[in-house]
Amino acid sequence: MAETKRKTRDDGSRQRSSSKKPKTSKKGKSADKAERRGPRLPNALRKELDRLNPRTADSDEEIGSDEEALGQDLYEYEEGLPEEESKKNRRFDPVDNLDYELPEDFEDENVSSDDDNEARNGGESEADDEVKEENDGRRIGEMPTQTVEGRRKKMNNVVVSEAYPESEYNPTRDMLEGEGALSIGDLLDPLQGKHGYSKLKKRVRILDKKSTPIQAPLPKPVQQRLERNAAYDKSKEELRKWEPIVKRNREAPTIYFDDDRDLGPSSVGTIASEFEPRTEFEKKMASLLYDDEVMDAHRKDGSRLLELNKVSAEDEKDRQNRIAKMRSLLFRHELKSKHIKNIKSKTYHRLLKKDKLKANSLQSQMDPEASKELAMKQEYERAKERMTLRHKGSSKWAKRIKERGLDVQDDGTRAAIAEQQHLHAQLTRKMNSMKDSDTSSNDTSDDDDVDVNSDDEDRASKLLEKAKEKTLKLLNEDNEVPNSGVLSLPFMNEAAAEEAKLALQEYESWANQLGDSGGGNPKVGRPSGRMVFNGKDAPESSKKTKSDNKNRSDNYYGDSDSDSEDDLEPISISQHGKYRSNELMKDANISPVLLHEDSENHKDSFFKQNTDGSVQDPGPQATHEVSIFASGTWRKMKNGNDANANANAKKSPAPLQSVELDQSVQEPVKDLDVDSDADSEGQMVDGVLSAVPEPSYELPSQEELIRQAFAADNVEDEFKKTKEDILNEENPEPEKPVLLPGWGQWTNIQKKKGIPSYMQIEHDSAKKKREEALKQRKDANLKHVIISEKPPNKKSQNLFTQSLPYPFTSKEVFEQSIRMPLGPEFNPASMVGALNRPEVVKKSGVIIKPIEFEEVNAYEKLEGHKKSGQKHKKNRKSKSNSNSGKNMTKLKTK
Amino acid sequence: MKVKVISRSTDEHTKERSQDLQRVFHNYDPAIRPQEKAVEYVRALNAAKLDKIFAKPFVGAMDGHIDAISCMAKNMNHLVGIFSGSMDGDIRHWDIASRRTVHQFPGHQGAVRGLAVSTDGRVLVSCGTDCSVRLWAVPISTAMELDVSSDKSVEPLETYVWKNAFRSVDHQWNFDRFATGGAGVDIWNHNRSAPEQSLEWGTDTVISVRFNPGQPDLLATSASDRSIALYDLRMGKPTAKLIMATKTNSICWNPMEPFNFTAANEDCNCYSFDSRKLNAATCVHKDHVSAVMDIDYSPTGREFVTGSYDRTVRIFQYNGGHSREIYHTKRMQRVFCVKFSCDASYVISGSDDTNLRLWKAKASEQLGVLLPREKKRHEYHEAVKNRYKHLPEVKRIVRHRHLPKPIYKATGLRRTMIEAERRREEKRKAHSAPGSITSKPLRQRRIVRVEE
Repeated sequence: MAETKRKTRDDGSRQRSSSKKPKTSKKGKSADKAERRGPRLPNALRKELDRLNPRTADSDEEIGSDEEALGQDLYEYEEGLPEEESKKNRRFDPVDNLDYELPEDFEDENVSSDDDNEARNGGESEADDEVKEENDGRRIGEMPTQTVEGRRKKMNNVVVSEAYPESEYNPTRDMLEGEGALSIGDLLDPLQGKHGYSKLKKRVRILDKKSTPIQAPLPKPVQQRLERNAAYDKSKEELRKWEPIVKRNREAPTIYFDDDRDLGPSSVGTIASEFEPRTEFEKKMASLLYDDEVMDAHRKDGSRLLELNKVSAEDEKDRQNRIAKMRSLLFRHELKSKHIKNIKSKTYHRLLKKDKLKANSLQSQMDPEASKELAMKQEYERAKERMTLRHKGSSKWAKRIKERGLDVQDDGTRAAIAEQQHLHAQLTRKMNSMKDSDTSSNDTSDDDDVDVNSDDEDRASKLLEKAKEKTLKLLNEDNEVPNSGVLSLPFMNEAAAEEAKLALQEYESWANQLGDSGGGNPKVGRPSGRMVFNGKDAPESSKKTKSDNKNRSDNYYGDSDSDSEDDLEPISISQHGKYRSNELMKDANISPVLLHEDSENHKDSFFKQNTDGSVQDPGPQATHEVSIFASGTWRKMKNGNDANANANAKKSPAPLQSVELDQSVQEPVKDLDVDSDADSEGQMVDGVLSAVPEPSYELPSQEELIRQAFAADNVEDEFKKTKEDILNEENPEPEKPVLLPGWGQWTNIQKKKGIPSYMQIEHDSAKKKREEALKQRKDANLKHVIISEKPPNKKSQNLFTQSLPYPFTSKEVFEQSIRMPLGPEFNPASMVGALNRPEVVKKSGVIIKPIEFEEVNAYEKLEGHKKSGQKHKKNRKSKSNSNSGKNMTKLKTK
Repeated sequence: MKVKVISRSTDEHTKERSQDLQRVFHNYDPAIRPQEKAVEYVRALNAAKLDKIFAKPFVGAMDGHIDAISCMAKNMNHLVGIFSGSMDGDIRHWDIASRRTVHQFPGHQGAVRGLAVSTDGRVLVSCGTDCSVRLWAVPISTAMELDVSSDKSVEPLETYVWKNAFRSVDHQWNFDRFATGGAGVDIWNHNRSAPEQSLEWGTDTVISVRFNPGQPDLLATSASDRSIALYDLRMGKPTAKLIMATKTNSICWNPMEPFNFTAANEDCNCYSFDSRKLNAATCVHKDHVSAVMDIDYSPTGREFVTGSYDRTVRIFQYNGGHSREIYHTKRMQRVFCVKFSCDASYVISGSDDTNLRLWKAKASEQLGVLLPREKKRHEYHEAVKNRYKHLPEVKRIVRHRHLPKPIYKATGLRRTMIEAERRREEKRKAHSAPGSITSKPLRQRRIVRVEE
């Protein structure tokens, strides 16, 4: 600061001196003034002279002393130079240079104000007026038209710049008024003829021409404001350089802050090289590893290493011993663990047993032989148990527990007891059921005998009779059974009896019918009487009871087993497939009604069988189930018998029957033969096949079909009605004007007057409005169309924005912006990344440094980021479509 | 006869390795996907809902101070370190990862009002009401040494006592200088016991000082005479001054846009300014219901965090009029200082309840390492949500926040007041001669004058 001040002071003095010049060139007052300022003149002038002619300057040493001191740091090497040289030397034109060097803000006014103050402090009282005058004089050149008042005013503003107190060099007023004022010319005169005089004169003249009146320094606040303004402008200018960078970043669809930094050593080698031992162990290792000797040995060759590697015999022995010990320990440990592995808990064994059982049962399911064996085994066990009654609670243990009381026992014992009781209960139940099944199996086995052995027609009738008998018996049983409850009531009994009778009648009539359709042939009844189920059931039961017809039943068993494994359909198929040829003949013989029923029964039976099959688990439970089935569901079995008998009937040899068939019946059979061979099964089950097929069937036309299909309902009328309803709903019909009934005499008046006219008018206008609205509807002229004009409902309302979102100016642009989907399903993989890229890509854990300046060419096409692609950013796109292309930029950070 | 057969190249349909994903071929014809928009809308809705479900911004609290936290400073070189100063003169260095105090810097006699860290992260500068500026060497510590070091306290490098109490301090970017604000603005050097330079404009106390990180010679201050002043150190002069209707509590420069700064004002709003045009704010950020106490920009320059006297922390977009996020907890009291972490993914707030709180900058962000596919999924969700953000349902879900009751009520009250004011203005305008009453836009309304 001090330096600059000095400079400026120097500068100021120079200016002052220069300002003298015009006065010298001018005549009169102005010239006088210049002279009056004489005392200061030498100072300034001396400098000039000093520069040009140092010898002259030498004379007034003392005056220049401070000046010299000032000059010292400005022009350091001037002093050191010999005078002759400095004389020629014009290279240091200090004033000019300074002028260029100084920045704008170092204004003259600023610093010279110090001088002003000085002047004021020192010589204000005396020299005030003179100075003002002088200033006036200076300004004359500038503003000749100014009045005295104006001048006075101006004077107040003008700051006096007089650095020296009154003295002989700073003359008073009378001196100034006097004629004998000095001019620069006068002072220069003595130099005339000397070396450099002409030069000096020329310079002075030039200065005179150039100089302008000096401005008075401004008040401090104003000055400061100006300074600040200048500084602000400057700093604004500085900040401007950031504009392109910021603009680019703002416009970029994505800015990246995740530049791949060097996050440390990447290779194993670098990591290893930077490893420093920290723990004791590591240090020890390091001391061994980086032992000088070892390192040297490594560097040279292996021989030294070998030397170093020598181990003493004792050490080796020790080592071997240790190893042996470890081995033996390991071996023992292994043995022990093996032993432990073999010891197993009770639960383990129980579970194992269960698993084994399960596996067995599974096997039995798969393999008939195994299952048979299993069944035998179970039967044996059952028998054994029945004999010993082991689980009845007669054991010593159980008795003791009973004695002590069950409540006292712990949970485990109680559970065991319960289990035993359960087992016993199961066993007893089994015994009962076994008895039943035994009888039934006997029955059925008898049946079976008959069934298989006799294949004549009588068999059928026999069966029929048997069935009848059984039904009757059942009915009787039914009569007998209910002895208590609702069914035991007399009227219920009656009703039951009646029902039974009805059933019987029905049955008989049905049988007759059969007889008729079968051409009076008693054989036709056969199918309903025969039961395949017997054939199936028998083997199971017989096997269980070890009945004598085991050989045969084995066959059947195999059959039924395979059946029970399968689903409903396969069963039917296999069965039907088996008897297909027979069936055809048979079916022809049977009336459709019968067949239908038959097939239904069939299905039922299959279903039952199937359920049985699925329930049937090998093992004790399975047999139990089967036996239950045998005993408890007698009626069901009977049904099944009926059905299966039917199926079985088909098994009977076809040729025999076909012979007896009528000619008339045979024809359709042939038809059937033609088309049904392959697809008969499914149809058989459904009973569709039985519908009599028409030989010549023509497809009706589409229209006809539709008419037939919709014969009953009047679609058009309905549509009309719905349309009307909708119309009424959307444009409701105006209500008819109604009067509130009056009372007393008002009723009469009301009646007379009728509906008031305004109501009528209102009503009419509303009606008209409605009609117009109806006419204006989009579907007014479309007879078969309803176009709803309801206000959009709330749900669809959610799919619209209430107003256009902010950056967008038109609806189209907004819609365009959300037109293209973003997802990976709708875009190729190469596009998805670019479409979904967020605005700021950063990595957590990466420090983001503030922006750093870099030159940006606003017009250059930035080379895209490696991940670049099109990013559809709405607000940008709406503004400028072209801009949003590949504007990917990478932020440079410090 | 020509027979058309489907032919496929084996190269495209075989996986090179067993881990490879099976390539799926798509037909991108929009005609066969008429529902794409509907699908994406639903996805956007779901994404918005998921965001709400996963929005758990509070990571943890750091307690240890025994008085209100007055200031914080982040270490620009060290991600997990943060310094906090409290009203009882305690300064602590925290490890954010473990949320523990690593070091303590005892010495201040009164409240610590300003903290700043040098750019290289070696020197911590603190100043306070005890008229002293202290420089501390930041001990370099790794996680390993944390447990071992028993003596956590650090001795100051230097202590410079000056004439007046200090209110704030900030360090210049990349240089050795720092500026303190108090009775005036003083520019200090690390190596000198007296300020290098003292800047003054007006006589009021300077409340906050901030250096411009992009243009390190620029300095912005706010003072208690409701002014915001700019200084240029190259010229050693103040450059511009702006007087607002209310005091500005804190100032922050945008690190990515060196001519923009945002001022946290006492009137519940933040004002973003272009430092070259101070006669109008570029954006007014409204939402707080009480004085905004502190503000800090995210290093990305795209958002900033504010802490307010209304006990909430909010995150704003740099150009958004309303906050993107509000954070609050039951126990958090008046927030006096906030900072964005250097990687822009966390926010730290210091409050009256002597705790520092660590928040996620994005409330529903999944922490930890993400698989590329996860990342893609998140990006897609974000993009879809962004696309349909204008639709009412999505907007509703995205904007919905549970607020503490007092804040909710205060918001409502503020809204009514503003609305009433607006109506009054409108009526006044309607009932007076046209042109006689002019209303300033909001961006200029609170600016009293710009001084030169």
